[in-house]
Amino acid sequence: MAHIVSCLDQPSTYKDSYSKVERSRQAEVLSRSTTLYVGNLSFYTTEEQIYELFGKCAVPEEGGGLKRIIMGLDRNTRTPCGFCFVEYYTHGEALAAMRYVSGTKLDERIIRCDLDLGYKEGRQFGRGKSGGQVRDEHRQDYDPGRGGWGAQAQAEQERRTARERLYEDAQDGPGAVAGGGGDWREEDVQGHPYASGSGMKRGHDDMDDEEFQDRSNRPKGEPTDT
Amino acid sequence: MSRGNYDHDRRREAIPESGEQRLRSAIIKIGEDPEFHPTHELPRVAKYLRTNLPASAPAISEGFRIGVTEQPYKIPYYSSLLALLFAPEDPAPDAQDGPSTSSEHVARVVLDDFFKGFQAFLDRLAWRELRLCIHFFSHLVLLQTVSATSMLALLQSFAAVLDEPGVSFYRAQQAALCVGEGLIRAGSVLYDAHREEITELLASISSLSESYTTLKALTRPVTLYHDPAHASGSDELLDSLLAVLSELQAASFPLVSCIPRSHEHFPQTTTSPFDLPAVLVPPEVVEIDGEEAAAADPEKSSIKTDMPSSYLRLFHDESTPSLSTPAGFVLRSAFSDVIGIFEVNRKECARILLEMPRWVENGTFKGKTGVSPPEGADPPNEDANETGWILENTIVETLLSTLLLLPAPPHKPVYYFSLVTELCKASPQTVGPAVGKSFRKLYSLLGEGLDVEVARRFSEWFSSHMSNFGFNWVWREWIPDLSLASHHPKRAFIRRALEYETRLSYHDRVLKTLPPEFQAAEAEAIAAEAPGPLFEYDDPAHPLYEPAQSLLTLIRGRSKADEVVQHAETLRSTISDTPNLTPDSAVRSIAVQCLLHVGARSFSHFLNAIERYLALLRSLSNTADDKADILDAAGRFWIKNSQMVGIVFDKFMQYQIVEPGDVIAWAFRTATGHRLGTNEWDIVKVALDKSIGRVLLTKRKVALLRKEEEDVSARAKAQAAAEEDSQMDVEAEKKDDAVVSDSPALQTSLKALATLTREQRMTFSRALDEFVAVLTKSASPSIGVIGAEAWEGRADWNEEQWQFWEMWGWYRHFCRAYAVHLGTYAATLETVSLGETIGGDVGEAARLVRQTWNAALGREM
Repeated sequence: MAHIVSCLDQPSTYKDSYSKVERSRQAEVLSRSTTLYVGNLSFYTTEEQIYELFGKCAVPEEGGGLKRIIMGLDRNTRTPCGFCFVEYYTHGEALAAMRYVSGTKLDERIIRCDLDLGYKEGRQFGRGKSGGQVRDEHRQDYDPGRGGWGAQAQAEQERRTARERLYEDAQDGPGAVAGGGGDWREEDVQGHPYASGSGMKRGHDDMDDEEFQDRSNRPKGEPTDT
Repeated sequence: MSRGNYDHDRRREAIPESGEQRLRSAIIKIGEDPEFHPTHELPRVAKYLRTNLPASAPAISEGFRIGVTEQPYKIPYYSSLLALLFAPEDPAPDAQDGPSTSSEHVARVVLDDFFKGFQAFLDRLAWRELRLCIHFFSHLVLLQTVSATSMLALLQSFAAVLDEPGVSFYRAQQAALCVGEGLIRAGSVLYDAHREEITELLASISSLSESYTTLKALTRPVTLYHDPAHASGSDELLDSLLAVLSELQAASFPLVSCIPRSHEHFPQTTTSPFDLPAVLVPPEVVEIDGEEAAAADPEKSSIKTDMPSSYLRLFHDESTPSLSTPAGFVLRSAFSDVIGIFEVNRKECARILLEMPRWVENGTFKGKTGVSPPEGADPPNEDANETGWILENTIVETLLSTLLLLPAPPHKPVYYFSLVTELCKASPQTVGPAVGKSFRKLYSLLGEGLDVEVARRFSEWFSSHMSNFGFNWVWREWIPDLSLASHHPKRAFIRRALEYETRLSYHDRVLKTLPPEFQAAEAEAIAAEAPGPLFEYDDPAHPLYEPAQSLLTLIRGRSKADEVVQHAETLRSTISDTPNLTPDSAVRSIAVQCLLHVGARSFSHFLNAIERYLALLRSLSNTADDKADILDAAGRFWIKNSQMVGIVFDKFMQYQIVEPGDVIAWAFRTATGHRLGTNEWDIVKVALDKSIGRVLLTKRKVALLRKEEEDVSARAKAQAAAEEDSQMDVEAEKKDDAVVSDSPALQTSLKALATLTREQRMTFSRALDEFVAVLTKSASPSIGVIGAEAWEGRADWNEEQWQFWEMWGWYRHFCRAYAVHLGTYAATLETVSLGETIGGDVGEAARLVRQTWNAALGREM
């Protein structure tokens, strides 16, 4: 159905300048992508709000669901800086979010989604000189939802401060971000292979190798909390 | 839409259009000029097309095919345009052949090619495309370009589907729509010559419709449990189709008023009409275990349900056309097709919907100009724009009644939410009031029989809509309802709508949109505080404060998982029995709440906490009782936040700490008196869907591995054949057999599939058991809400009665939403779970349980 109108689920022409994936291969990866970049978030929007909205595109009865959310953080201050990654279990769910959620409001801001190559270590941090997103450094307008401080009510101020501190413990390096749980495995039912804690190594996480055996429930590393 | 096509289209945009593309778009874009008039534009385009015939016949027929299936509202013009291709050309100076014969000939080539496309739609049973092509053919019958006899034969081929033994409801319904919508358009010509045949077609649709009476009762959006025949407030699609056809037949099939009479503008262009070739509707692909799942397109966005479609009525007949009238049926299905076709781009969809009056006769919609009358005809009535239906109400009603279809709409509900939003953005002054009226109408049906799932979807739409429009709602209007019983559907709606709003926003934001009456504690509309966690061991006075703190300290200090497991082990021996709690259960509760406490900051924090300490959770979750403890502890921790309960349970299942059956048991155990409310139902659904998803994924995997192995073995065979070319004997055959045996990977998957299938059966059995137990418990007030008299007295119902009424609703929804799966396990489930309802207890409740079950499984009485 693309003769009369364009489809809203097509990726933008954005090229991740840090990605080493070639353009031709990039299109291939995007055509199977289960991850969305979500931009223009308020700095104060929570993961649960994001979960609620993006969960509406989940198709659990086909093995889908919301795998994980990775909040974009200011590299220096460890505060949310207005973007996140939403990862589903299936590509169809990501497409549905492009069609139905991108361009609608969350927390009273119109958010923008794009198909993404998939989360890679370190991508949760802003790449701007200041630590936030590059796009915010080019922004000239005053935007109270994104760091502008108006005469906020006390309660509102407190909420915002609490939100800002939420990720002060965020870490980088391998395994700083949880995996979200993989496919069903028979071994897990019969006996818990990790009961001894011996399997607590980071799981193999190659995009092309997300198989029954490999994309396991293995913990992906360190928790970020204290 | 594959990426390949997208890239292709993009390239196409970048380079100048080729000749063929120009031809295609000349066809596709007809009528878009604001000054469009068919008698001016169509002959011009026809002439242009003819200059490119026969050379470009394939491109031209493709243009028609795209136009007809993707812009069906232009079909009256597409058909006129095609008919014009048959018209004799103006004799050109250098014309060598007789002009008339050459036009005839090339036009036939185009129609032939178009029909090849139709055959392709038929081969893959693309029902919407088939139906729209039938619209096109029907208009060509009016133009006498297609022969009436061949059209009748085509409709009869589709009608044959209705008599197929064991035909699925979906297939029969789609075929009936093809027949019926063809008759609505071409009936005026067909009926003259073929009265008997047409009467037969109607009779076969009628008997199809009658054979689904019970299933229709189960899918009505407004329903009375005691009266399955109660059908007011909604229109079932087949019923409406029949009503329309009967009305038309009674008047010898007049043309339907809203459809543009483009054919009347042009003289007959051929004396030997085209005969549509005979077709046979191919059978549905039979589902063989696993293969269907493997073949399923994971990118498909529409869900087809095998249940009747009952559309809720939101407006009066003066405001929007009824589905059961000819014009109403035509308009509603036209809007409906646009909503389906443009699902890929909701913004364009909104624009096209608002422009629909352009494509119907003047006077159809109030205040909107439709098609201009033909030249020389009477000037339009000055008042034409003052009569007619209200466009925005019609759009919104079509959209919402589709969103609220049971058991599920064709697309994800969020598509319809977003489409309403786009419509409101495109024309706030006109769409806004239609949306507001719909909110009020739906609200007024709460407690008057509006189905529980419809009410749930309504609250989800309401909150999503509010989230997009500043949470502005006139809550004042509903203040009087705050004095209704707490579990009255209206109050339940208010609570749920505010809860969903809070999830999308935050507590303070929602609170400040409410009048004081709603904020008052006794209104029970919204909590006084944000729905935070409840860590039971936070209080130093708690008897288990010390052990909980010790574990919490280890977890916070990021101690190794095995150390934490060991510490939990030690705790067990140090904790003395507390009332109601064994040391084992106490340790499980402490461990779960400590992890959730550490992970309470956000979804990611939660994931990190449980991923790090999976070993701890697993060491504590060996038996079903253990798992129940874990769910109970988590449920208490997030008791104020049903969203978090859903998230936590979903991940607990994902990490296989608990099984779907455990979660279902929790939902019933936790609900007041085991009577499910909407939030508990949501949890049951999360568990059922998880179980279904697992089986599906494993089936796909098995099918994939099978195919791989077949490929490998085929290659091996080919190789062996090549090597032992001359001596292909019994020995070689034996060798082949060895190769064919299942690989370890396949064996593992097959074993997993067997386990998961067994588990799925148990999960469904568990849910059914729980429903039956609650609903048929002897002397339970369950019975007191299903009779006619009881219903009439609902103004005096107490909390328990409303809860039972809701519970019955969820049982109905459980049966219809999971009918396919329940059918798979019907034999076991009927023996195990429904056994008692068949034999001993023949009370009212048991009878209704059984009747609902039979209806969902398609067993008509």
